[in-house]
Amino acid sequence: MRPLTESETQTLFAKLANYTGTSLKNLIAPLDNGPNADRYVFRIQQSRCYYVRLSLSNLATSIARDKLLSLGTCLGKFTKSGKFRLHITALPILAEHARYKVWVKANGEMPFLYGGHIVKAHVGRWSDDCPEHQGVVVYSMNDTPLGFGVTARSTQEARRLDPTGITCFRQADCGEYLRDEDSLFATS
Amino acid sequence: MAPSRTSTVKSKHATNKSGIKNSKTTNKTRAGQNGDGVSKPKSAKSKKTQSKGVSLGSVTGKGSALNKLKKKRRIYTEKELGIPALNMITPVGVEKPKGEKKGKVFVDDRESMLTILAMVNADKEGQIESKMMKARQMEEIREARKVEADKRVEDRKSKLDEAKEGLRKKRKRAAAEKKEDGESVSLEAGTKPMRLRKKSVSFA
Repeated sequence: MRPLTESETQTLFAKLANYTGTSLKNLIAPLDNGPNADRYVFRIQQSRCYYVRLSLSNLATSIARDKLLSLGTCLGKFTKSGKFRLHITALPILAEHARYKVWVKANGEMPFLYGGHIVKAHVGRWSDDCPEHQGVVVYSMNDTPLGFGVTARSTQEARRLDPTGITCFRQADCGEYLRDEDSLFATS
Repeated sequence: MAPSRTSTVKSKHATNKSGIKNSKTTNKTRAGQNGDGVSKPKSAKSKKTQSKGVSLGSVTGKGSALNKLKKKRRIYTEKELGIPALNMITPVGVEKPKGEKKGKVFVDDRESMLTILAMVNADKEGQIESKMMKARQMEEIREARKVEADKRVEDRKSKLDEAKEGLRKKRKRAAAEKKEDGESVSLEAGTKPMRLRKKSVSFA
């Protein structure tokens, strides 16, 4: 387990900033105003990046690297080529700071959770002025985050789209907790 | 062939007795001794050189000259020459500056993280802004094109309508004229309509 290097931090923030707005800086804000206040930090353990409280990460140093399976919230993993891939486990953090949102109707929830893209007919609401190929967080109509994806069309273009046209490409959905149960937390 | 005959050798350290014709020392001594171009009064210095030249002729003198030669040649160390240890190109990643920390440099303090975050955010903002601008421009172009296409369709439709109207009027006029003509003809000759009846054939 180690902190991130400069380039890794930049890659991670660039990825997170696809989905979130400027409120992302609250992620690393101290939890209270004390001089030695606890704060959240990013740690890498076996190519996976975790968002974890500093006090917890300090405690975790007493566990051998190969024995430590997970700590805090897993955001995703760094690939061998140095890119970052977000996992569905990062959804609570993304949903909290999301900039653009898409709400799917009840009839579109299951197709999305089974790994399908979002078609126009299933969209209940969406954020205005959303450009093309922009990261969005997908919610159900009662504001439960279901996953995240990338818009296929801008909001204006999507208005003209036919009902079966794809408006949002799925990147991760909560169904992965079941579908990828074997590989989501396995480290080997 | 003896080396003494070669005229191309121009060793700096070649002595008078080395047998090399063009060596500096031989020239100097010759100038001093014979005084070909410039006549110099014979001084104690010239005498000295003469006496030295005589002493060089002895066996021990020759040995010392050789020793001098060997001493004079400077031996350079590899560092002084600055030749790379291996005569090959060292890849960029392999060569590392001295005195720098080994391994990765971590970013764990809040300030540097905030700096990186601000940079990334500014970059993303710019990207989104440019995307929006582009989308807006495209939308404008699309609108203009749509309006133009609508106008063209309307023009074509109106032209077609005009042509239709023209044809209709022409036909009406022609029919009216025909009617008038027919009436006048029928009035003129009463037996003609009988001829117009078509011939028909019926079976059984």
